[in-house]
Amino acid sequence: MVIEIKKFGEVLVSRPAGREAFLAMSAYLTKGVSKDEIIEIDFSGVKVLTPSWADEVITKIAEEFKNVKLLNTENATVQATLKTLREYSDLKI
Amino acid sequence: MTAIFKEAQEKSEFYCETRDVFQARLDRMLREFLRSGKADETNIYLASAIAGEIGNNSFDHNLGSWPDVSGIFFGYKNENNNIEIVLADRGQGVLKTLKKVKPEIVDDEDALKTAFTERISGRAPEKRGNGLKFVRENVEDRKMHLLFSSGDAQIEINAEMKIGKAETEVGGCLAVLTL
Repeated sequence: MVIEIKKFGEVLVSRPAGREAFLAMSAYLTKGVSKDEIIEIDFSGVKVLTPSWADEVITKIAEEFKNVKLLNTENATVQATLKTLREYSDLKI
Repeated sequence: MTAIFKEAQEKSEFYCETRDVFQARLDRMLREFLRSGKADETNIYLASAIAGEIGNNSFDHNLGSWPDVSGIFFGYKNENNNIEIVLADRGQGVLKTLKKVKPEIVDDEDALKTAFTERISGRAPEKRGNGLKFVRENVEDRKMHLLFSSGDAQIEINAEMKIGKAETEVGGCLAVLTL
């Protein structure tokens, strides 16, 4: 399945907003989805992403599912955020 | 703080009493900077992310503990392709926040160094504490300039990081980002 991050906003900066996004995602998008299914996280259309928001969403999805792929990560804040999460939050993807 | 000053501050267009107001003004800043078409687009996105991290930190670490006035000051300008973003709060400051989880921190300079270089959060046991590392690395990588003051200390980040005494003591936190 594909999760389009832009559907949660173009400027994604705070932890409370990230936590809310993850809860909504868990209730409406990923509920009942097999832990082995390929989850594609699509960042196209995202303008500003921070480690605070992404740590509540991307890190948690990566902990929950075994096959997570990241798509369209060209935006500089997406790149920088993923680098920070890999370095400081043990993100493995 | 006198009632008149408090009222003036709260009516200011720069005052964000809640996180929602800050988010709305951050969105507006991004739109205005992009519309100007002058500054580098990548720098604008990264500067917005840096401002977002610093501004939200104020709310994250002072929720329920604001000493007097809750919320933050958030101002910005773009003149002749020179962008300046200012964020400030009247919160507890970095030292008081981090001393709860790392009692061996001795002073404001030590607290700032810890905040910007170590994986630590005043909100332990929650696993967080990556925001200011993100701020430091991207300010350095993009050769922006950040002056961040808290208590009697300041940290200056450009191509490298310098920590020292601040010219003026800051009760909470003050950040000035230029690019």
